[in-house]
Amino acid sequence: MLRFVLRRLIATPLLLLGVATVAFFLSQMTKGDPLSAIVPERQMNNPEIVAAAKEKWGLDKSLIERYGLYIGNLVQGDLGVSFTTRRAVSADLGERLPATLELVMAAMLIATVVGITLGVLSARYRDRSVDYISRVFALLGSSLPVFWSGLLLLFLFSVQLGWVPGPGRLDARSVAPPSITGFYTVDSLLNGNIPLFFESLHHLLLPSIVLAWSVIGVITRLVRSSLLEVMGQDYVRTARAKGAGEGRVMLNHALRNALIPTLTIIGFSFAYLITGAVLTEAVFSWPGVGSYAVSSARSLDLPGIIGVTLVGSLAFLVANLLTDIAYAFANPRVKLQ
Amino acid sequence: MAYAFLARSGSLLKSATLAVALLASAAPIARAEGGETLVIARSMDINALDPARAFCDTCQIVLTALYDTLVGLAPDNKTIVPKLAASWQINADQTVFTFKLDPAATFADGSKVEAKDIKWTFERLKNIKGSPSFFMDGVTSVETPDAATVVITLAASNSEFINKLSAGFTGIINSDVAAAAGATAGADADKADKAETWFLEHSAGGGPFTLVSYRPDDELRLARNDAYWGKKPYFAETVFRQTQDAVAQAQLLQSGGADVAMQVDMDTAKSLHGNDVKTDIIPSYNFLYIALGAGAKSNKVPLTPDVRRAISLAIDYEGVIDFTVGGAGKSQPSPIPNGFPGTEGLPERGRNLAEAKVLLAKAGLADGFEIEAVYPNDNVYGVDINLMMQKVQQDLTDVGIKVTLTPATYPVWRDQINGAGIPMTAVYYAPDYYGSGQYADYFAMMPGTAWAKRAGAAREPSVINAKEAELLKKALASGGAEQEKNFHALALEMINDNIIIPLVSPNMVLAYRSDIEGVRYSACCNLPLSEISRKK
Repeated sequence: MLRFVLRRLIATPLLLLGVATVAFFLSQMTKGDPLSAIVPERQMNNPEIVAAAKEKWGLDKSLIERYGLYIGNLVQGDLGVSFTTRRAVSADLGERLPATLELVMAAMLIATVVGITLGVLSARYRDRSVDYISRVFALLGSSLPVFWSGLLLLFLFSVQLGWVPGPGRLDARSVAPPSITGFYTVDSLLNGNIPLFFESLHHLLLPSIVLAWSVIGVITRLVRSSLLEVMGQDYVRTARAKGAGEGRVMLNHALRNALIPTLTIIGFSFAYLITGAVLTEAVFSWPGVGSYAVSSARSLDLPGIIGVTLVGSLAFLVANLLTDIAYAFANPRVKLQ
Repeated sequence: MAYAFLARSGSLLKSATLAVALLASAAPIARAEGGETLVIARSMDINALDPARAFCDTCQIVLTALYDTLVGLAPDNKTIVPKLAASWQINADQTVFTFKLDPAATFADGSKVEAKDIKWTFERLKNIKGSPSFFMDGVTSVETPDAATVVITLAASNSEFINKLSAGFTGIINSDVAAAAGATAGADADKADKAETWFLEHSAGGGPFTLVSYRPDDELRLARNDAYWGKKPYFAETVFRQTQDAVAQAQLLQSGGADVAMQVDMDTAKSLHGNDVKTDIIPSYNFLYIALGAGAKSNKVPLTPDVRRAISLAIDYEGVIDFTVGGAGKSQPSPIPNGFPGTEGLPERGRNLAEAKVLLAKAGLADGFEIEAVYPNDNVYGVDINLMMQKVQQDLTDVGIKVTLTPATYPVWRDQINGAGIPMTAVYYAPDYYGSGQYADYFAMMPGTAWAKRAGAAREPSVINAKEAELLKKALASGGAEQEKNFHALALEMINDNIIIPLVSPNMVLAYRSDIEGVRYSACCNLPLSEISRKK
């Protein structure tokens, strides 16, 4: 397995280089004026300002020259400077990635626990009211657009009931903890600030539930169908014949095997949400990678767009690798070569 | 919210949380020391925090708070008042402006504001070739006869130059501090200046606030400049909280998470109720307009003056205002907003289908024609441009003009408008300072202006209106009634061009918690933060 992991790790930079190349040329082919993020509309008429901006941002160079420069810098870990924020893209992403990871990890934890629980209940009580309720709940989560459910839940639980705080990672009047991991929950604990820990946790609650709800449906359906399939297997019948109770059969014998395909979905959902939590981040003013992707795309911030693409690709590559490793642990018949 | 949930009883989760919180060590949450915090919910469009490079609506607010300007704009949005300059003199032909600095003026670090700082700031603003460098257009020299006197000389008369100096983009920088951080004002500043990133984390001004931190798409934090030489602000800290849309801003306001929201549209404002929130609906100088590209390559018929006038006569202006902002706006005949010099008594635009049809028939287009409208697919100042253009499309159908609507992303629109041109488009504008010259410089059909180019002057030279350059020159060389008369004549010419056809100047919603005072809109500075306070 070690050889497999090493091989995949060695291939990762090459794959990212390929992704960067494709992303670079695709973004250059986009019909649009890259200066729109740099020079305000009213100054586009001023040739001096336009020329100075082009020179400063390297837009006066040929496509090949720009590609060479970009890849040369990328190899040294330099993702360039964002047209929009005017800061290093790596600094922007380094600041936003922990925000997204904190949100996505919380959401995946909720989604995994709730999704598996609902899946097990649905399979256990197939075609009964519990099954219907959990399936409707899961279906709603998958179907309702996040911008609608998010705003609605925010209005209900924040504005009307006051149970959860408004958007953002912290109350606007609070100051973020000194950054160690970038996770406010963790950093506030590491700094010994317990009230701030609860505040950040409280802020995390609603967006992570909203985000989790969109994934719960997939996990529930998969666990349910896998369990139902596994429940008909010989070894489950054998376990029952040996006198094992239904709960034990379900949890110890069937669920372990039914979870293997679920691992893939959890892995990919995690990677998808790293760059796909766009709407949740927008609704909850969560300064993560998703909102960065949107603002970069809207303003044709080419370094920002490529930076987000690389992060997304890396997330998928890592998730893929971890899923493969988890597979091997979950099912000894799977050999990683 | 001020952690109210810890004090409420209810669910098991809350009880557990409360118990753990009480058991845990009670380290305080870090908050501003020595006073209150003002929270502004806003979609921040910041492109820089360096006064020589920034250019955005939020920048107007922030730069005015961080950097004092030579002069200010009074709450009437017309009168120029002293700020860093205690007094000034302007020569008869409006080319030499002499300012005497207030001896009490200091920067946030306590050092005195000196004439060298003004010279350095203005030369840097010009030489850096940044977005707001146009504020220094026409400046030939900035001299400092002594430490308290600044003499600015212009190449040509410009009676509105002093108005420009009230804009936050001309805010005075502490040259010693900025130079130590890599800033330069030399002729090669566009290449040699290395301070752009530094300005994202620091301020070097003498305004009522100083910059604490800025995290794009998250928050911007200002602290009161306790050494401020003028009237100190009430709030010890001001936080701009990134809040993307109007609904989220309204929710944050209602929940008490924010004190002020300025980008709440009319529909959302109607949902704000109760005693905790106040909304002021005020006229703004912002407006949305359609523009006709007489020289656009893809025109199917020539957009002659008669055809352009026919288009302007076919639009139901009142209907547009009702349709886009529910009547909460006003019409604006010329590209110079109502209330600016020269706009009093301008004839209103109105709908006249019969005359429009006659004009089209005269142009040989009695059966109408097809035209493509490409515009940014945005919602600006509470107006959905798509909706606005649907109304225009519907109105023009009444005279046989078939408009194809093509919404585009902003970068794509810009590529097209500055390239082959667009037959019909829709855009928006907000003032940078109080003065009509900025509108002529941008919208008038004078050689070299942005809209003369976009209207296709290179392919269709007939769009150029020679009278306008002459009228602008006269207006800028005069003052008082004479200036008013010349700007009025210029506005009439711009109306008759029918290249820029303003459709709606939407009212602005200032929404704030009911215990907040001093929220107002400024034509130069958007929202003067230092005037805001909380009722005792």
